[in-house]
Amino acid sequence: MYQLKIDDKEIEVPEGTTVLKAAGMAGIEIPTLCNHPALEPYGGCRLCLVEIEGARTLQPACTLPVSDKMVIKTQTEKVKDARKFILSMIFSERNHFCPYCQVSGSDCELQNAAYREGMTHWPIQPNWQPYPVDASHPYFVLEHNRCILCRRCVRACAELVGNFTLGMEERGANTLLVADLGVPLGSSSCISCGVCVQICPTGALIDRWSAYRGQEKDVSSTKTICLGCSIGCGIEVLHRDNNLIKINGDWDAEISGGVLCDVGRFIPMDEKRNRLVTPMVRKDGALKAVTWDEALSVVMENFKPFINKKENGIAAIASTRLPADVLYYYKQIFEEILGSNMVTSTEEGRYTKVLSEFAEDKGPFESKLSEIHKADTIMTIGLDLTKDHQVAGFFIKRLIPAGTKVIPVSYESSGMDAFTPHSMIIERNQDLAFIQALDAALTGVDSSQFAEKSGISTQEITEIAKLLDSSKNLVIVYGTDFEAKQKRETVQSLLKLAKKLNAKLISPKGKANSLAAEQLKLNKPFNVNGHNAAYVALGDEDPSQAIIKKLENVPFLVVQASYHSALTAKADVVLPVTNWLEQSGYYITCDGQVQLANKSLQSPVDVKTNKEVVLSIADRLKIIVNPVWDKAVKLEKSVVEIE
Amino acid sequence: MSKPKVATDWMAGCAGCHMSLLDIDERLLQVLELIDLRASPITDLKEADESGVVVGVLEGGINNTANEHQAKLMRSRCKILVALGDCAVFGGVPAMRNFFTIEESLRRAYIETESTVDGFIPTDPELAVPTRVRAVSEVVLVDIHVPGCPPSADVIFHVLSELAQGRIPEIKDENLHWH
Repeated sequence: MYQLKIDDKEIEVPEGTTVLKAAGMAGIEIPTLCNHPALEPYGGCRLCLVEIEGARTLQPACTLPVSDKMVIKTQTEKVKDARKFILSMIFSERNHFCPYCQVSGSDCELQNAAYREGMTHWPIQPNWQPYPVDASHPYFVLEHNRCILCRRCVRACAELVGNFTLGMEERGANTLLVADLGVPLGSSSCISCGVCVQICPTGALIDRWSAYRGQEKDVSSTKTICLGCSIGCGIEVLHRDNNLIKINGDWDAEISGGVLCDVGRFIPMDEKRNRLVTPMVRKDGALKAVTWDEALSVVMENFKPFINKKENGIAAIASTRLPADVLYYYKQIFEEILGSNMVTSTEEGRYTKVLSEFAEDKGPFESKLSEIHKADTIMTIGLDLTKDHQVAGFFIKRLIPAGTKVIPVSYESSGMDAFTPHSMIIERNQDLAFIQALDAALTGVDSSQFAEKSGISTQEITEIAKLLDSSKNLVIVYGTDFEAKQKRETVQSLLKLAKKLNAKLISPKGKANSLAAEQLKLNKPFNVNGHNAAYVALGDEDPSQAIIKKLENVPFLVVQASYHSALTAKADVVLPVTNWLEQSGYYITCDGQVQLANKSLQSPVDVKTNKEVVLSIADRLKIIVNPVWDKAVKLEKSVVEIE
Repeated sequence: MSKPKVATDWMAGCAGCHMSLLDIDERLLQVLELIDLRASPITDLKEADESGVVVGVLEGGINNTANEHQAKLMRSRCKILVALGDCAVFGGVPAMRNFFTIEESLRRAYIETESTVDGFIPTDPELAVPTRVRAVSEVVLVDIHVPGCPPSADVIFHVLSELAQGRIPEIKDENLHWH
């Protein structure tokens, strides 16, 4: 511990603490611009200069580690003058005129810094050089004239996302933020995660949807979780007058630490589907608006003859985007009360069932996602983390500069290939052969037969096996998109390989409540043969073509959904429900963490939550459902510990 | 003691800052009890008294030779010069044209605008010559900068009442913030 004195305040801080952090601990705020808590200190803008007793010049607080008995002054005239001078230089470098800037008012960190120093004007006039505006990206605009060259975006792209799209070209006043080697953002390697937009301190990167629709001081914010997949990233939903304005990553979120992908940040903003706003019943061939009471009566009337009729009864399928509590109620109603033999989820156990089978004997064998952060070697197989569960891909990619070896195994070139020299492109559906080849190489027996089958040379197999064998913290991130007939065997040999290598296993599974649906055994393949009625609890999910086809000839179809779709068009009864932003509920991440999603928006008046609808069906059946969903999901052994 | 004389003028601005001055509403009467408002776009006098005023207020940036003359005249006749609003303080919205050449701006304004037919760039020697748009402080010394687009009526009231009572106004915190 070091003893320090900051503005006459004595404080003790651990060795290695920066002056900025030490000041924070002492409750003294030092202004910053290029610094951001989620990024490594950079020392670019110099706004945080402080006086250190004995030092010849002012020192940047963000990068300077404290030393014992250091005496720091943050409020001297010299420091204040330096701050004003630095801000004047930044203001006069490009076009920083507030009246026509999107972030002016409360969201601009440059403006706020000037206010803090009480600046009414700046004495140096700009040189009026116009810089280009890059509006080529579908989700945001890069306005170079507002850029202060702090490099937060560049560092976020590298340190948080590992994508290295953004960089700087030229020197001095000609320095320009560029994508790749100077191509328009829209045609660059950008993956549209938008972390750069969120972290930009000025109006240089502006999001198209939220621009000019209200600033932080005008909008309300709700902390919740993203339901785009099963990673469970923390988000902040910004809304104004019940309109969705923007989705930001939650910097305090334990799982994601503020990063988000396009699925979480931008795709929900681009919602183009038509909303269902009233219950409807088919009359004379067309869907007609009715009251909830009438709609539910029609459902009950048509269900009654088929209760407990098993294969001639009521088939039911629910979205894995629904809350865990709702899924449990739904299961009880359709399986136990209505006695259906076909109660499942839209995922049909595709990503999870085979894993549960192994968990039955072995107990939980998967690890937490956070193990990725500690890994020195990571192999991915059976999935593409640059397409789905992208944030897990960010976690992996950002480790590469520090030396973590990444081995993506896939059938074709993927977004990971540019970042690692160890990409393995194997023959289609030959994952099993690849794993067997590795296994043989590790055991020291001839791997050539398997290697040949997998399309990888024996030499490469030996090299990868060596790499895996020499790692200290090996993580295997796997999916189950393996050839159907060999799925079980492939997973089995992967588990065997992991055991041999002492590797941690992680699978990101499917949608937001993939694991919850699996634990509730909503994992059957969906088949409608002879069923006389069907109930689809779709929520805000898009129905797949396969499911629409399977339901084609059902005599009586009920769809509980938020949006119009090809399926609701065929339904006999349509029950309108809230979308993900309009309801609360519990979600279990792919690694077993239980999280609460909070309601951020009010739903249209005649729309009920998924929970209300399921409970009102229970009510009609005169039953009370067991509400203890959290015990129910732990009844069966799970693939990963559920907390 | 006689009331301090105040003169105001506008240059390359939109008159919004003077509108904001009028927006101080009934407090205008309190201000007028304390000051003697002389030349101003809202009075009949057009030039600050030759004998001088205590406070000169300028709205707008300086975008031609006529503005230059106005600013210099005000400076020479006042003790304390106030730059009122973002155009006077920074150049403001008119300064957007500084990113183009004057020829480009003139061509756009007099010839290329969608509603113009047979346009031409006026060249009458009596007209002021356009220049780059400058903040007032680039041409003459400014004592008090009041930023804002426009500065709110409350800020203007604060500035005038402080000056009327012989104090140099301090513009900070809420009075400084953009609204």
